[in-house]
Amino acid sequence: MASVIRPDPLAADGRWWRVAGRLYMAIGYLFLVLPIATMIVFSFQKGQFASIPGQGWTLQWYGKLFTDGTLLEALRNSLIVSPLAATGGCILGFLAAYALHRFRFRGQGAFSVLLVLPVLIPPLILGVAFLGLLSRIGLQGQLLSVILTHVVIVTAPAMAVIQLRLGQMPASLEEAAWDLGATDLQTLYKVVLPFTLPGIAGGWLLAFTFSFDEFIIAWFVSGFEQTLPVAVYAYIVGSVDPSLNAVGSIVFGLSVLSLIGVELLLFPILLSRYRSATS
Amino acid sequence: MVASLASGALPGAVPEAGSGKVTSPMKVLGIGLPLLYSAAFFVAPLAFLIMLGFWLVEDFQVVPAFSLENYLDIAQHMFAKSNYALAIAQSLWVSLSTAFLAVLVCYPMVLAIVYLAPLSRHRLLLMLAVAPFWSSYVLRLFSWQILLANKGIINSGLAWAGLESFQVSLIYTQSATRIGLIHYLAPILIVILYVTVANIDRDLIQAARDLGATRWQAFRRVILPMSRTGLLVSASFAAIVSFGDVLAGALLGGGAGKSVLGSVPLFSNMIMSEYASSTNLPRTSALAMILVLVMILMLAAGAALADRNKIDAG
Repeated sequence: MASVIRPDPLAADGRWWRVAGRLYMAIGYLFLVLPIATMIVFSFQKGQFASIPGQGWTLQWYGKLFTDGTLLEALRNSLIVSPLAATGGCILGFLAAYALHRFRFRGQGAFSVLLVLPVLIPPLILGVAFLGLLSRIGLQGQLLSVILTHVVIVTAPAMAVIQLRLGQMPASLEEAAWDLGATDLQTLYKVVLPFTLPGIAGGWLLAFTFSFDEFIIAWFVSGFEQTLPVAVYAYIVGSVDPSLNAVGSIVFGLSVLSLIGVELLLFPILLSRYRSATS
Repeated sequence: MVASLASGALPGAVPEAGSGKVTSPMKVLGIGLPLLYSAAFFVAPLAFLIMLGFWLVEDFQVVPAFSLENYLDIAQHMFAKSNYALAIAQSLWVSLSTAFLAVLVCYPMVLAIVYLAPLSRHRLLLMLAVAPFWSSYVLRLFSWQILLANKGIINSGLAWAGLESFQVSLIYTQSATRIGLIHYLAPILIVILYVTVANIDRDLIQAARDLGATRWQAFRRVILPMSRTGLLVSASFAAIVSFGDVLAGALLGGGAGKSVLGSVPLFSNMIMSEYASSTNLPRTSALAMILVLVMILMLAAGAALADRNKIDAG
């Protein structure tokens, strides 16, 4: 801070601001990690009703999770739905982002608004609307219904990340390819796609996370083919079961992995303005 | 084609491959496929939702009709039996107060990150703040449930530490709903507000200080006015999300959580539980349309209010 260099006329009272601010920050971070820390710690705790002091350590809830199978099957369903939805969202997101980047066309603004709109409408509304239409055409109550509807809501985040990456591509790159005689498709395949790949991967992870965590749309359209959040919800409403902590810890483990992925892929894109294309 | 030729000729514009010939297949695919998908699976369901509100259920079958029955029935129950009006009021109260509190909690957090932490640490601090966002929302709410339960972790921990007289009874109240929502919103709000505050020119703050402004005055006259847009965007975002959310109200509010308005469910929870018990889709659609309408009114009122304040401040 600049005030460190110059003599600060109010340095004395400034110290208290600093102490108060740091304290506040610490409390804030404590609030943010509290439920996650709770989940991990109490997934290894014996008692059915979590309390302090603890009642000893155990792996029984993980064991129960694997013998019971309901939540595990829901996890499997989610691991089918979310990657496919993320892939669909990335394909649409890439196409739209590329079209917006490459071409000028009438209704360009309306086109991007239309694609971003699904994330601005409450998912509760979308859930009712999706079920309404899908049940008319006999597509409700399957994993496919969840995939089709999740694609709608994950396209926007995927597209946003891909657009960021495309915006970092120097125009000269494509021009050079055309000058050297590459066709449209060759340019796309050999120049644009490799350059955009980190953006696509980052967008995919973001889309996956959105879909993996989505509850209410899946609740409406999935029927008996529950995804993980829907099954977890049914479980919580029914009983208090520390197996949920075990699921939570596994899911958090998964998300730490994707977090590392995001750290490696997404943040460099968000934070760098113009990377050279040589990498 | 004329337009695309013209833009291709502009210096610095992205040139169109094959401009002057037929439209590029990439263009057709790039615009067409997303447009088609959006029309089929986004525009069509929403259009159908409007229609469905006028349809009816006869013998457990949804039948096409043009009837106001759903809406009239809901209107009748606005102040009786289901008491939709009270649920809508509860939703408005909880979502607006949540939005206010969430911004009130997150803004000082962001100020502390931006002005107290060295620039090299910002990335780590943001990553940490966003971390909860990557874990499951439903499971985080379950975690809050066992934390806040009457004999849960917080209360048993307080008793264990010899503080029996300090017991919290938050579970199944709308205060618990707010805690869950704020925890869900905080990572997103922190990012939005960070972008706003980090972009405020530090020289302006230094200038104010050099001219004799106290820290408080520099905050009040420079930092706060320049954070205005970010504060408004994050508050409206928080209000929209809270208004449409069902999970926090169901799991932490217990369906009909207590607040100053009494033990009334949120409107969103009412829609969900009504559908769960009746599976009457046309009626649910009508209720959903009312939720949309109330939300639009809420946003319009917010925008008008923000506009007026802007004039006052200017």
